Amino acid sequence: MTVATFSDAPAATRQRPVAPLAAAMLLPIAIVNAIGFLAPVANLFRMSFNEATGGGGLREAVTFANYLAFVMDPFYLELVTRSIGMSLAITLLTLVASYPIALFIHRAPAQWKSLLTIVTVSPLLVSAVVRTYGWMLILGDRGLVNGLLTSAGVIHEPLRLVNNTTGVVIGLVEILMPYMVLSLMAGFGRLDRTYEEAAQSLGAMPWTAFRRVVVPLTLPGIALGCLLCFVLAVSSFITPKLLGGGRVFLLATEIYDQAIVILNWPLAATMSIVILAIFGLALVAYTRVVRLLD
Amino acid sequence: MTIDRRLFIAGLAASALTALPAFAQDTSLSGEITLAAYSGVFQDNYTKAVVEPFMKRFPNIRVNYYPAQSSAQMLGTLRAQKGSPQVDVALLDVSIARVATDEELFVPLEAANVPNLASLHDLATIEGVAGRGVTFDHLTLIYNTKAVSPAPTSWNDLWNPRFKGKFVMPGVPDIQGTALTVIANAMAGGGDPARGLDKGFARMVELAPLVQSWDPKPDAYTLVINGTADVGVGWNARSQFYKDQSKGLLDVVLPKEGSVFQINTINLVAGSKNKKAAEAFIDYALGPEAQKAFTETMFYAPTNKKAEIGKEALDRTAAGVMERMIRVDWIALAKLRDKLTEQWRRQVLPASR
Repeated sequence: MTVATFSDAPAATRQRPVAPLAAAMLLPIAIVNAIGFLAPVANLFRMSFNEATGGGGLREAVTFANYLAFVMDPFYLELVTRSIGMSLAITLLTLVASYPIALFIHRAPAQWKSLLTIVTVSPLLVSAVVRTYGWMLILGDRGLVNGLLTSAGVIHEPLRLVNNTTGVVIGLVEILMPYMVLSLMAGFGRLDRTYEEAAQSLGAMPWTAFRRVVVPLTLPGIALGCLLCFVLAVSSFITPKLLGGGRVFLLATEIYDQAIVILNWPLAATMSIVILAIFGLALVAYTRVVRLLD
Repeated sequence: MTIDRRLFIAGLAASALTALPAFAQDTSLSGEITLAAYSGVFQDNYTKAVVEPFMKRFPNIRVNYYPAQSSAQMLGTLRAQKGSPQVDVALLDVSIARVATDEELFVPLEAANVPNLASLHDLATIEGVAGRGVTFDHLTLIYNTKAVSPAPTSWNDLWNPRFKGKFVMPGVPDIQGTALTVIANAMAGGGDPARGLDKGFARMVELAPLVQSWDPKPDAYTLVINGTADVGVGWNARSQFYKDQSKGLLDVVLPKEGSVFQINTINLVAGSKNKKAAEAFIDYALGPEAQKAFTETMFYAPTNKKAEIGKEALDRTAAGVMERMIRVDWIALAKLRDKLTEQWRRQVLPASR
């Protein structure tokens, strides 16, 4: 009884001032978000119901014509499936490429860990545009890869590694890897070398130990990394634009074309809302997966 | 006494100056106007050739140059400022000017206030556009002089298999893609572009497998100069600029079949707070002096018939071969844009994968 009152009282006094303080601390970011995110999205939502009058004209209206046009046109539906499919493939490749790195860094001695992490994350110091231009040089007809293969006599005609889907996939996987590695490492908290040793001492081969012990323990990190990379891949615009050679159509590049080149703002807004809905679905899927894991 | 004499001399000098037409100054108008036009090299040259001489002529008017990346961006700015326009004069592409005119962002020019309208080429007046053509540019064939010999002379050379994987150009919906399709359509006897470009698209399908990129980055000129591509398509004014920049590594061809014009228009923004000064600027920009100066610095063909262009600039623009140009109604094509984009994606792109 006394213990209860003793522990209850400070908790109550502690909580009362904390709530307004928390609210006050949240206020700046809430304002920034309201001005920088919610208002533009609301504006976009409104724009998606306006009417495009052809040749770039715009009329204020409340019409579902843009959504209908989007749903009825097989080209746009293919755009959605292709964007999602390609982003999933890119996410998977990024995971495969990043997992060993993340595991290696996680197991590295403490004094090396931070250095290795910095090295992994350092590509983020250079903007994605610059890195994409780098890939154009490496993958181009006279680039590093084609140059090496040609001088080695493996090929005679340059391989088409850029200005197509291959180029976009290679570029995006590299650009997303730091995000994946960081997310994986964040989710590796429960992973301890002793579990693996225990599994092996009980007769598991290294591969079995990895499959049955390491992977399940690191699933939260995998889920987080995949969500992040998927969302970044679906919304990526610069890399597909620069490496796609006008042949790779994704939702984000199409929004650019509709808004800037064809000047159909209502349709561009409609597609932006569709992308937002895809993000929402990805988030729902992520929460489900996390709940399942728990 | 000395002061009086100084004043007298100054007055004498001033009257002598105003008597000379080259130094004619007009102080009746004053205030500040804002010109929205393209950024980059265009801004540098337009400021030198037109804006600064205008401010010398009208010393009490200050022109602010608001640089924009593209016509579409200018349209966005004009739409956002509709209630209280900060821009007085907008220089942008004709099809976007049409949209802005439809949305009543521009007001028509009056011959009484803009006397130079009378001496413009007939192509400079476009139905449904409030302003007038201020520059003519045309589609050109560009090539790397080290890699390509002999020089191409015809658009048909682009279909030559020797350029397979070595040809770059921006595809539809960029208007360079539309422009080449219009030319191909005319060469294939396709008739009025406004009725569709089916024959042109059939030719583009044949071209598609030879193309390295439909979206050259940063642009076709750079890729031709650095050897990533051998041939490309570009706009004359920029091509001429890069020809000089690259010391002739890139060269420009106006093919024998002619080309199509891209037209930039100059427009008076509705609700301009300084309409008189804005009109004075538009009149100056359309006048023979500014047209000559800008043509000779940047190789856009003049829209004013009275502009007397020097020999060198004449050879490097389409001003001397106006009759060879293929007529295209960009406004009619803008209405077909969705259809053309669809046709491009369903016919041409699959052939280039």
